[in-house]
Amino acid sequence: MNEKRRIGLKYCGGCNPLHDRVRTAGWIQEQLKDRVEFVSYEDEDTEGILIIAGCATACVDRTPFAGRPVWTVTGPEDAERFVEEIR
Amino acid sequence: MAMMNAKQYEDSLRKLKLNVYMFGKKVENVVDDPIIRPSMNAVAATYECAHQAEYEDLMTAKSHLTGRKINRFTHIHQSTEDLVKKSKMGRLLGSLTACCFQRCVGMDTLNALSMTTYDIDKKYGTEYNKRFLAFLAYVQEKDLTCDGAMTDPKGDRSKPPHQQADPDLFLHVVEERKDGIVVRGAKCHQTGAVNSHEIIVMPTISLRQDDKDYAICFALPSDAQGITYILGRQSCDTRKLEPGMMDRGNQFYGGHEALVVFDNVFVPWERVFMYKEWDFAGQLVEQFASYHRQSYACKAGVGDVLIGATQCIAEYNGVQGASHVKDKIIEMNHLNETLFCGSLACAAEGHKEPSGTYYVHTLLANVCKQNVTRFPFEIARLAQDVAGGLMVTLPSEQDFRSPEIGKWMEKYYKGNPKVPTEYRMRILRLIENLTLGTAAVGYLTESMHGAGSPQAQRIMIARQVNMDLKKKTAKKLSGIPENE
Repeated sequence: MNEKRRIGLKYCGGCNPLHDRVRTAGWIQEQLKDRVEFVSYEDEDTEGILIIAGCATACVDRTPFAGRPVWTVTGPEDAERFVEEIR
Repeated sequence: MAMMNAKQYEDSLRKLKLNVYMFGKKVENVVDDPIIRPSMNAVAATYECAHQAEYEDLMTAKSHLTGRKINRFTHIHQSTEDLVKKSKMGRLLGSLTACCFQRCVGMDTLNALSMTTYDIDKKYGTEYNKRFLAFLAYVQEKDLTCDGAMTDPKGDRSKPPHQQADPDLFLHVVEERKDGIVVRGAKCHQTGAVNSHEIIVMPTISLRQDDKDYAICFALPSDAQGITYILGRQSCDTRKLEPGMMDRGNQFYGGHEALVVFDNVFVPWERVFMYKEWDFAGQLVEQFASYHRQSYACKAGVGDVLIGATQCIAEYNGVQGASHVKDKIIEMNHLNETLFCGSLACAAEGHKEPSGTYYVHTLLANVCKQNVTRFPFEIARLAQDVAGGLMVTLPSEQDFRSPEIGKWMEKYYKGNPKVPTEYRMRILRLIENLTLGTAAVGYLTESMHGAGSPQAQRIMIARQVNMDLKKKTAKKLSGIPENE
């Protein structure tokens, strides 16, 4: 039985988002539900971090995630690319 | 203690013994009072959002005192990134509540005090910064809401505090004791006062030596003996006492202001952060005002809701395709984003003060607030233009619910046939709320006068631009000798 991959989920704060970040994250989780367990970004035991940002600025501080892969999704098209990559 | 959530915040307010009056009567249950409650809900949102994954990046920060995660409203800015996040947090919360969420004034006071207390100590060898940091640690640990109380009644504006016919028109010290001081006076327009755990009092203007008794700054629990709150009225406030919710416009949130009276109130020395250092009153006022002028990013958030409501009513009225309607909504967005630009700019151009606190670019903060004194009024005008006159002639929800006459409203207030009449009424009530109802207090008049009236910013702009450099360049490019 294959174990699911563990990826930390981190949102930007959403001051002026150009898409529904929570919906985008939900869509990603649904698409990858058989392959990935999304957990808190504060969980150290993850292979990388998925940042869901409301716009291309993607102002989340990446310093705490140094040494781990970080994927940034700034809209639905990014989300599709991320899903394809993980699949 | 960890950061409070909305429920814990509400419970914490229930423990306060506030002396609050409204409509001539003492309010026995402040938290559940139907007129005050929406404003409590708005402050509660600042607690709840800090626990939500999709908002916490803006809503929380790392304490420079303890390294622990804290609500950003209790944070001292440690970088320009912190300042930018503060602007973004304001927009976020404005866009979620469509009102004044009241907590920025305390944050701005804490940050201003972190600098001024440090600077006073440097000059006079006092220990205000040490006292302030102890207070700050308490605020962060308990995750408290602080009211920053600056505006005195001011009486005759042509006279300084010590020349007023009534000495209490500016809050001042009336007695000095071994263990503290006794103060008397009042603070006006106190946003969110009865939703606050602590009240931090500051001078309201620059002072001279003759006014040294007025150069005081301190913090007290909001239910300290001798403090009385008198709630300010808001347009359409008693709609919150009527049956039904529709006519309130905003179903959940609101704001409030109060006159806060200090009738011989004792302040222990450990809570005093300025005492007769009159030469620092102006600095504290300016630093607080500059931070607070940045804080008006919140109005861009409220503008988001008003623009959304305007687009909705255009669609409900069936006019969304008209070119002039589209253009008006573009103009609303242009003005709204310009508001946000100013707040972001003064944050991004901030700098580190000797205390270690990061401070906004004051010229740009004043430009930001100057725009705020104007643009929401134009945005509101355009919203009313697109909404149509029905916004102010619409009968009540009770009429709409009436078995006898409701059918006529249902029939004659129908717009787009695909949209229920009730939705059209609801969105009109929200636009009414924001442009001339209870929320207009915050979105319009507070935008005009909060954090200083328009002329205050114009004075600061005039003081801070480099006019000599502008003239020099103009002369050079037009061939005028430099010394002419």
